[in-house]
Formats: sequence, structure tokens, C-alpha cells
Amino acid sequence: MDRSAGVRFVDARGDTAVRAVPPDPVARIRRRLPGTVSAAGSWVERHALGLVAAATAAILLVVFYFPVATVFVEAVVVDGRVTAAPLVDVLTSEFYLVDILWFTAYQALLSTVASVVLGLPAAWILARFEFPGREALRSLTILPFVMPSIMVAIGFVATFGRNGTLNTVLRALGLPTVELLFTLPAIVIAHAFYNAPLVARVTTAAWESVDASAIETARSLGASPTRAFYDVVVPQLRPAVAIGATLTFVFTFASFPIVLALGGFQLATVEVFIYSRIQSLAYSEAAALAAVETVISLGLTYLYLRYEGRQRGDSQGANPESRRRLWPSSWTLREVGIRTVIVGYGVVILAVFVVPVASMVLTSVTGGGGLTLEHYLFLVERQQTGASYQVRPLPAVRNSLLFGAGTLLVAVPMGVVLAVLTTRRFRGRAAIDALTMAPLAVSGIVVGLGLLRGLVFGVEVLGTRIRVTGAVAVVAAHAVGAYPFVTRSVAPLLGNLDARLVESARSLGATRVRALVDIELPLVAAGVVAGAAFAFAISIGEFDSTIVLAEGSSSYTMPVAVERYLGRRLGPATAMGCLLLAVTSLSFVVIERFGGRYGGRGGF
Amino acid sequence: MRRRSFLRAAGAGGVAGLAGCTGGGGGSGSGSDSGSTETATPTAEDTAVATATGTTASSTPELVVATYGTFVDAPSTSPGRWIKETFESEFDATLTFETPDSEINYYIERANRGIDIDADVYAGVRVRDLIRIDEQLDGGLFTTVEGVPGQENVKSDIQFDPSGRVVPFATGYVSLVYDRTQGAYGDYSAPETFEGLLESEYEGDLLAQNPASSTTGRLFLLHTIQEFGPDGYLDYWADLQDNGARVLGSWSDSYGAYQEEQAPMVVSYSTDQVYAARSDENLDQHQIRFLNDQGYADAEGMAMFEGTDTPDLARSFAEFMLRPEVQGEIAQQWVSFPATTTADLPDSFATYAQEPPEGVAFNYEILRDNLSEWTREWERQFASK
Amino acid sequence: MRLTIDNVRKEYGGTVALGSGADGDAARTENGGDAPAGIDLEVADGEFFTLVGPSGCGKTTTLRLVAGFDSATRGDVRFDGRAMAGVPPEDRGVGVVFQNYALFPHLSVAENVAYGLRFTDPPGGETRDKRVASLLELVDLPDAGPRDPGALSGGQRQRVALARALAPGPDLLLLDEPMSALDARLRERLRLQIKRIQSTLGITTLYVTHDQEEALAVSDRVAVMSDGAVEQVGPPQAVYRRPETRFVAEFVGDNNVFEGRVESSRTGDEPDGSDDPVGDSGRSPLETAGVRSGSGSDPAPGAGGGGGRDRTSEDRDRTVFVDVDGTTVPVQTSRRIRPDARVTFCVRPERMWALESGGDGTGAGVGSAEGGSDATVALDATVSNAEFLGESTRTYLRWKGRELTVRTADPLSGDVRVGFDGGDAHVIGVASGGASAFESGRD
Repeated sequence: MDRSAGVRFVDARGDTAVRAVPPDPVARIRRRLPGTVSAAGSWVERHALGLVAAATAAILLVVFYFPVATVFVEAVVVDGRVTAAPLVDVLTSEFYLVDILWFTAYQALLSTVASVVLGLPAAWILARFEFPGREALRSLTILPFVMPSIMVAIGFVATFGRNGTLNTVLRALGLPTVELLFTLPAIVIAHAFYNAPLVARVTTAAWESVDASAIETARSLGASPTRAFYDVVVPQLRPAVAIGATLTFVFTFASFPIVLALGGFQLATVEVFIYSRIQSLAYSEAAALAAVETVISLGLTYLYLRYEGRQRGDSQGANPESRRRLWPSSWTLREVGIRTVIVGYGVVILAVFVVPVASMVLTSVTGGGGLTLEHYLFLVERQQTGASYQVRPLPAVRNSLLFGAGTLLVAVPMGVVLAVLTTRRFRGRAAIDALTMAPLAVSGIVVGLGLLRGLVFGVEVLGTRIRVTGAVAVVAAHAVGAYPFVTRSVAPLLGNLDARLVESARSLGATRVRALVDIELPLVAAGVVAGAAFAFAISIGEFDSTIVLAEGSSSYTMPVAVERYLGRRLGPATAMGCLLLAVTSLSFVVIERFGGRYGGRGGF
Repeated sequence: MRRRSFLRAAGAGGVAGLAGCTGGGGGSGSGSDSGSTETATPTAEDTAVATATGTTASSTPELVVATYGTFVDAPSTSPGRWIKETFESEFDATLTFETPDSEINYYIERANRGIDIDADVYAGVRVRDLIRIDEQLDGGLFTTVEGVPGQENVKSDIQFDPSGRVVPFATGYVSLVYDRTQGAYGDYSAPETFEGLLESEYEGDLLAQNPASSTTGRLFLLHTIQEFGPDGYLDYWADLQDNGARVLGSWSDSYGAYQEEQAPMVVSYSTDQVYAARSDENLDQHQIRFLNDQGYADAEGMAMFEGTDTPDLARSFAEFMLRPEVQGEIAQQWVSFPATTTADLPDSFATYAQEPPEGVAFNYEILRDNLSEWTREWERQFASK
Repeated sequence: MRLTIDNVRKEYGGTVALGSGADGDAARTENGGDAPAGIDLEVADGEFFTLVGPSGCGKTTTLRLVAGFDSATRGDVRFDGRAMAGVPPEDRGVGVVFQNYALFPHLSVAENVAYGLRFTDPPGGETRDKRVASLLELVDLPDAGPRDPGALSGGQRQRVALARALAPGPDLLLLDEPMSALDARLRERLRLQIKRIQSTLGITTLYVTHDQEEALAVSDRVAVMSDGAVEQVGPPQAVYRRPETRFVAEFVGDNNVFEGRVESSRTGDEPDGSDDPVGDSGRSPLETAGVRSGSGSDPAPGAGGGGGRDRTSEDRDRTVFVDVDGTTVPVQTSRRIRPDARVTFCVRPERMWALESGGDGTGAGVGSAEGGSDATVALDATVSNAEFLGESTRTYLRWKGRELTVRTADPLSGDVRVGFDGGDAHVIGVASGGASAFESGRD
């Protein structure tokens, strides 16, 4: 290709070179472009990483650590005296310790197993097969994340209930029916509904970055396809599955409304009691329970981070395997077997995801014994005639989108900068990692309680009452809950990038931030987009801190509207829920589109 | 009012800058980003949402009525709007609703911290709220209300506040709602007694609610305590649980499951048929059963905040709420029973709103001393199974 | 631009990456002379200066310190006398080319080259587009602009990387193993091209490579590094011909290193009995500096090609007779070396020839079997291995338990007698005490 290039140059292009770069040393002195950056602007640009990190720390402190500390203090200080009594009460109570905490952990474990079992095949199909709509499907895997629990409950009752879709089908097939509702399996399936997509999403990303040449190497050394899978692919998926499983456990450990809706009070989790104690203003008991819950979740997160720390730098994703076609060109026995497995899995997905969601949609257009649009007309009417003190659909949509967009704008820089810091090596990094990932591990109700007991009503500082409420506070709280997802999505990809790309950019005159924006982010766009989608989803779905921080104001969001429209008829709430689903789906598609364009020609 | 207090806070601590500004201005047009709303001249709508600002409050007196969300904002009907419009048309005043999500706890918390409360009246105080207020606050939150015209017409058996702070304005009864169309021949019938619920033919048929977080759940639990006594109710519940009764998190959870025919009985209100009739549902699926011919009474009332700056207007509001025509309208819109004996109600009202032969309820003192413990003992027994 | 590296030391954690002696190692410090020290280098304006050494020797660390990617633990990097401490890479005006190209995969070739122009104006008042075009022309890829870096061959990518580094008109070009990933033939062509561009532009260049042949081929001057320290600095010929340390002798080109005890010495024909203060002192006496290159004209017997030896009668007027495992080798040197001193010297493989061959019976030496002078040393050895290189053959021999390397035109085999001229031996070091037996010069 360039066989003659060098020689030709030497012989023929000498004067070209002279023309190209005048040897005048003055011309070679580097000048900053005039007017592009003012002195102040350039200072900000130079210190942007540090500034964002500092801002992150400040936001974390105000809307996370301070509230959580408030809760912990509440657990050990009663009436101004330090006491271990609330904690001792909880830890010596057979009821809390054995019945509630143990059961909570047990159901979380089962839910984690179910989520992984349900999520991994999805990751396999999304990562290894090519079919129309694959990208869209991947974007939408995140949808269950934003579903208000009441919607999921409605869909699940309609699907798995005594007279639900599942039993109707079973009866039609002449099979015995199943009684799933108000049992532990119902909770576990609902938790899998929420979290299997999470497992699938993170695992897909890892799977796509497995280097094909590593597999080929293993094959050439004599490994069978199965053996190569175990020896090469599995080790690279393990960290992703671990983060998915850890998050699932932490989330389901703190699960609450869905447990009571589909399991019933005999299957109550610890969060049920925290919520109940908050309601009855028994704060020290609530705080003691919350402290125990938080310690368990944080401990697990820390264990994960230590594991991840040991795994880091394992994978190099330069050359992903090519995807297979879902519809094979030739039907060998093996191909038939694989497709049978996929079809079987598809049936399970249909039952767990598609039918419940379809049931919600159906409920929103059913009424008075037939199909109707009256529930949507209710939304229209409420929008047009609703008084200002009532919850109207469009402001709810607008607030959700504003908070979601605000969360994106705050959480993505926070998450990306922390990902950059995370990929560096410095002393105490593990501790910083754990501190910055803590928001993943602390339940929304605990943070909400802390906010309620602290900044929402104001804290006296130097004689002035400082209050933190309203839209900015909501966005800050959402961002704190969301940015760890950005960090976790971006950090592994960033860690795999060649450091020399950044060094090249910097030697060419780019500041660290410019190099990040110009070079690194486009190359890890897939991770940034995934993180952004998660951040948006977290913001849309967040309930506890929104309610607490929007207290008294009218900053209600879509999930709040769903809750408000609940009544004897399920129609209005489900119609609002479907509006939520539609708006959110559209947002995800927009986020992925925009992110895809930002990614440019990277080929991700 | 609150707008003012937040402006104070905003001046002090910058973080709070945009408090409470985003939601309200749905119609205030372009972008209405939260930053600009703060300084913008409040639109009429803004004023209504959140509170009056100094400029508008000076001309018309304002009454801030705190209540819970469904009272003004239920997807079916709620009396809030009618009350506001009617009250404003008669009194030269602006009625502003304030509906904090944590309801009465919001005001308890504020009072606990010595923060100004902007509301003048709370509409929707139940006995449980009163107990919580008295437990949490040394001073008090509400002031005594005496001599309001019409107060003498309030049914004596639903007056639950011994200190005379709360004036009831509505009442209701908790009962079983069952679905006649279920069962082998479409002839399902709920048992007539509490014992009947333990029969094997009713196994797995009852849906109830968590008494710690749901009003109907709490009242049904109290009804069983009324029936079996503080020493016997746990045994009854153990049998109930053995017979497959399910306790879900909220009324919505259980009523939704009931409508999906997950179970033929649900604990709900005895006015259930009013809604069913309104939306042309099959009344066979909304049958009422008063166990042991009793209904546990649920009264709610209004109370005046101690710090109200418009006590006269607040009293006028109480008087207004007790008028016969207003009582009648509230009962119809709120789907409850009037609190007074003098309410103007159409005859058709009784067709669907059923009153039990006997209403029962614990009084304030007993509940104050026992409610929390009864609930906890129930929790401990039920959840550990 | 003049680059000065002044007593620069770099430690990572407790590990010394650049500089010698270990911080906090009190024992070594007390023993004197081995206190923590940095390295010193001076690169003149427009010079093509190469750091060469095995991996881990600190050459890349040095380049990274100059580029500003890392900061020195101690010492100064100066550009034209201006200390660079605290100056971030983007403000140093350096162009860097890495071994793996590090092209931005999401940008086209032209966008890659133009990237640095986002931050500075093109030198000489050119427009950006023109600048990009002329640089692509400079590296002989005039039509590659719209292409994806991924669609280019390795050599093309490397040239794009070079164009990109040159685009903003840097004052200093840093090349970090730029050709290690390319095949041998391409490497040779590309290094010619780089050298040509460099001398055309007159840009000060710091080149890092582990390939000593490459270093010798392109550099104005070379610094041989080992274990965080600079072993020797000089023009390629000087470093090749007169290595100052055993490491340099063994690293730069093939070599046979011997060690032995001095039996006697003479100047001209006279025995030299005088004491040698240099030898006594234990210091490593250096040969005269300022050796001019290209003076290899001595037609010594067995001169097998390559450069000539460089010596003059004034330079090397002494002969010491060194006993290497019972064989006496007359080594010519300019030094005064006392009898009984331990001497290390080396003989290049191409300076050895076969005196007579074993099994094959073919006299394969470049010089004739009888070509030895009185200074000729003969060693009886056994062939252990041979590599046919084309224009010559590299043969590995066992001689008295050590390995020797010779270069001959034709392969040798079996038992052979090889010879070399004492005048081709170069003294590396002298020690008064005993030392261990040395291995052969191949690494």
C-alpha cells in the first residue's frame, strides 16, 4: 500500500517539506489562539476537573451525606443524649433481626438470582445476535426501571392473578393453574422485572467489548467453543454480572411498595417498617432500622468495589466479535437447538415483561365493560379544567422532563469526572470510590428521611436558617442518585482506553478537559449514553426525595401524578402511567440518538 | 406566606434559591424556567397555587386550608373545588389549598421546629392525627373551636376530640365489599359475622390493608379489637391469616386486586356503590356487608391552627362547612356521610350509600393509650409468619 | 530549541525509574558515592538526539518527563533554559509520536492532523486547511485526508501521527519507539524519512528506541541508558567503537567481552614498568574525547566490513599483555595500565576470523588463515550455533566455557580456531582487584 511512499518522499518531496514548515523559529513558537479563551475562562478550563469534583463533593455533602448523617445521628441521639438504645433494641429484637432482616435478605437473594438468570440470556441475545430493532430493544431495556410500583402491581395482578392472563392460557391448554399472587415468587418475579434489565444492560456492554481475537486464540489452542466461552468470555463478564447482582441485591433489599402490593404484609421487608415508623414519627426507631439497613447495603457495595478493583484492566475491547444472525442461514442441529432456547426464553420474557406492560395499557383503555378512551379524556379534561391546586398531566410531564434533563446535565459531568478520577491511581482511591458510590447503596427513604429531618425544614447555621427545597434541590438529589450509574458505565470503558490518546491530544495543545471532551468521551460514547439513560431513568422514577423536597410546592412529577390519579377506577392512573411510559420511551430514544451522534464515527 | 418565607431563606442560603417555583406556572408560558419565576410578577395562577404574595393578599383576605391531596384532587370526585368556589363567592376572600404530601406530619414537624405555619385551617383531621399531635407536641397545633353556628348539629357520637379542637364535617363506615358474581354459580355472598370469615369456604377470599399505613386497614383492625377485645384479636387474626386473608400495603393495592377478581372480598367503605353506580358498573360486584351488623365509624373534622392570622375567617369557614346545604354537597361529592343531623341530602343518596345498623368506634382516650401498641403487636404477629 | 535535563530523577512509590541510588537507602549513601542522583542531558538546537536502552532503562520515562506527562521527583527539565516544572503538556509546544500511533479513531486523517490547530494558529500564517494539506504532503500521504485512520496501514498511520505532531509547529519533537510496531523493511524506510524531515525542518528531536541499530542509523548523538542511568553519550560511531562501559559494549552491537589479568605492558617496543596512577585509582579512565567519526581506515587483517577501527599511533601507543584463562592477548591501548590489574576489553565479532576450520575443512575466514600478525591471537573453540544473515553469518562458539560470537562470510561448524588482532581489542575498564569471569558480549 505504501510501498514506495518513503522512498519517493526522500527523493522528490524535499522542497515540499521546506515549503510546508518554514524553518523560521519564530513561526514555530506556540501561541494560544487569540480570543478563544479569556484568562478566567482558561483558568476554569484548566481546573474544570477539579472544579466539577469539588462541586460533586459539595452536592454529595449537602443532599446525601448530611441527610444520611442526620439519620444516623437520630439513631444514636435521643432527646439530646447519646444512647445506643434504639440500635440495641433493633439488634436484640428477634422480630427485627430474625423475622424481618433475615427475610429481607433472603428475598433479596432470591430476587438477585432470578434477575441474573432472567437477565443473562437477554445480554447474550443483545450482544451476540443481529436482528432488526436490536438497538431500540436495547434502549428500551431500561424502561422497567421507571415504572411506578403501582403500575407494575396492576400489570402483575392482571397477568399472574387468579384470573390473569397466565392462568387463562394455562386453562385453555388444559394445564393446572398457578396461584402466584401474594406469595414470595410473586415478589421475586416483580423484582426480576425491575432488575433483570439492569443485569442485561451492564452485561451486554461487557459482552460487546470482549475481544474476538482472545476467543480465537483460545480456539486455536485447542479449546472447544464452550471451553473458550468459559475461559475467555466468562471471566470478562464476571465483573459486569457482579455489579448487576450487587445493585439488584441492594435495590431489592430496600424494596418496599411492590412487596406489599404483590406479596402482602406477611412478607414485609425492613423498608416497610422504616416507612411505617417515619409515618408515625417514631424517628429514632426508623433511624435505627435505616442505619442497620444502610450498613448492610454499604458493606455489600464495598465488597463489590474491592472485587471490581481487583478486576480492573482485565479486558481490552478493540475488536468485538461479529454478531450472528438471529435467523441462521443453515439449520444445523446446533442452530435449531440454540433457536429453541431463544424461543423458550422469548416466552418467559413475554410473560414477565410484555404481558404485564400490555395489561397496563389495556387497563388504561378499558372501562364500563369495553374499550374506551375515557381515561385519556380524563387526562385531557384535567389538563384543561384542573385547578391550580390539582395535579395536571402536562405540568407533571414537564416537571419530570425538566428534572430529568437537569439530572442529566448535572449527573453526567459528575459521573464522568468521577470516572476519570477512578481510573487514575492514587492513594486512598478505594475509599473515594466507596464514598462516591454510596448513593447506590442507601435507600431513597433513608435519604428522604434525612432530608426531611434536616434541610427541608431548615438548619440553623450562624443564626440563619438554611433550607434546601424546590426544583434545584430535587435535581441535586436526583443527580446524586443517578451519577454513580454514569460513573459505573463510563469508568470501565475509560480504563480500557489507551492513555496515549489523551497524551497525544495534550501535547497538541488540548487541556485535560478538552482532551476528555474531544477524544475520550466520543470514544466511550456508548458508556456515556448508557449512563445518561440510567440517570434520566433514575430521575423519572425517583419518588421519595422528589416528594420530600417538593413538599408544599407544586413540583409534582409523573409518578406523583400516577399516584394522585389512583382511585376506585384504575383507568386514570394507568392512563397517566402509559403517558409516563410513552414520554420516557421517547426520551430514551432521543438520548440514544443524540448520544449516538455525539459518538461520531467511532463505530460503537 | 410561604413564598415570603422562602424568599427569606433564599436570601440567606443560596441553595434554596429556586424553592417551590417550578411546578405552578403551567400556563405562565414560555419556558417558565424556574429561575425566572422567582422574580417574575406572579400570575393569577401562581398566586392560587402556592400562596399569596404580599401584593395580592393585601386586597382580599386569604384563608389557607391545609388538607390531604385526595380531598381536592381525587380522580373521581372531591369536594375541594366546590368548597373553594362557593366559599369565595360568598365571602370576600381567597381560599387557598395547601396539600403537603406528608399531610398532618408536615405541620407537626414545622411546629416542632418553631417554624411559622402559614395555614389557617386543617380539613381532614382524624383521631389518629390528633393522637399524634398530642404525643409529639407539648404546646399544641390547633386551638379550641367553640360556639360556631351549626356546631350543635354535629352528631354527638362522632365527636372524637375531648378538647373540642376538631369539628367533624364528614363521616363514613368501614365494611366489607364483595363481588356477588364470583363463586361457582355467580352467587357469592360474604359471611355475616367475623367468625364466618374463618370458615373454610372463605379461604383466601379476603383482602385487607396494612393498618400502619392505610386508614381502612387501621379501622378494620380496630373493629376486630372492638369485637374480640385486646386479648383476643391477635388470635382472631392468626386464624384469619391461616384462612388465607391477605393484608396488602394500601387501599389501592387491595382494591385493584379486588377489581381484577383476585379475591371476592375487600375491606373498604360502605359508600362503595355510589361510585359503582356513577360509573355504570355492575352493582353485583359492589355488595356491602356489615360484619355483625356493625360498621366501624371513621370521622374527619376540621381544626383551626393556633397561629392563624385570620381567626374570624377561619371560624366563618367552619360555620360554612356545617351548613345543611354544604354538608349535603360534601357528602355527595366526597362520598361520605354528613357530620350533622341537618344536612340537605337528596333521597336518592340513601340508595347507594349504606349506613350500618350500628356504628362502633373507640374513643380518643382508649386509642391514645393503645393504638400504637395494638398495631405493633399485630405487625409482629402477622409479619413474622 | 535547546533541551536541558538537569539532574532529573523520577521515583514511582519507592521504585526509582530514573536516576541512580535509592532514596532512603542509608547504607548505600554512607558508603559514599552512591547518593541519590538524577540524570543530566543536553540536546542542542536542531539536534537529533536518541535515547537507547533495553526496556525499563528509563528512556521512555525521560521522554514523558520532557513532554510533561509526568513530573520529575527532582531536578529540572529546561527548554532554552526555561524550567518547565508545572507547565502542563499542552503549553510546552512539543509534538509527540507514540509507538502505537495513538491516532484518534473517531476523527478522519485530516481531522487528526488538524487537531492541534484547534489550539494554535498554523505557523507561518497559513490557513488550517493548507497546513493540513502541506503536512500530509510532507509525509507523502496527500490524498489520505478524508480517510479513516483504521483504513490505513501501520506505516501510513505512523506518518499521519508524525504529521499530526508537526502540525502546530512544535519546538521539540518527541518520538517514543515510533517504529517498533512496523516490519523491518518499512522501519528502515520510515526512519530515513523521519531523519530527512527532521533535518529539513531543523527541529530538535528526542528519539526513544530500544533498537541500537536504529539509534546508530539516525542520530546526531546517542545516549545509552541502563537501569535509570545514562551510560554513555556521544556520536553513534564513538559509542559503537569506544564503549565506555561493559553495558554499552554489550548493548550496542554484537560484542565479545573478555576479562583478564595484565601480565606486562610496553610502550612501543619498550617494557613499561612505571606505575599507572590511573589504574591504581580504580576510576574508569576514559579514552580521549572528541574522536572524529569516519576515520576507520586501518586495513587490519580480517577487517570484515562495517566501520574501520579508529586509532592512531598517538592514541594507542601501548600494548598490554592480558592473560585470559591462560591465553595471552596483546591489547593495544592508550592507557597506562599496571601489571596485575584486571582489564576488561572487547572485540567486535566482525574483527574475528577463522584461522582454520574443523569438520567442514573449509577455511572460511574473511582474512586468510595466515593473515595474522604478531599481534594475532588464536583461540580454539567449538561452534555451538550459527545464524545465516545473508551478507554474513553470525556464529556462536564455546571457548573455555564462555560464548563467543564471530561474523564470517560463510558458516562455520565443528571445532574451529578463530583469531583476532590485538589492535582490534578495545579496553573498556581497568580494575586493580580481582573480578568475576565475564560472559560473552551477546545478550
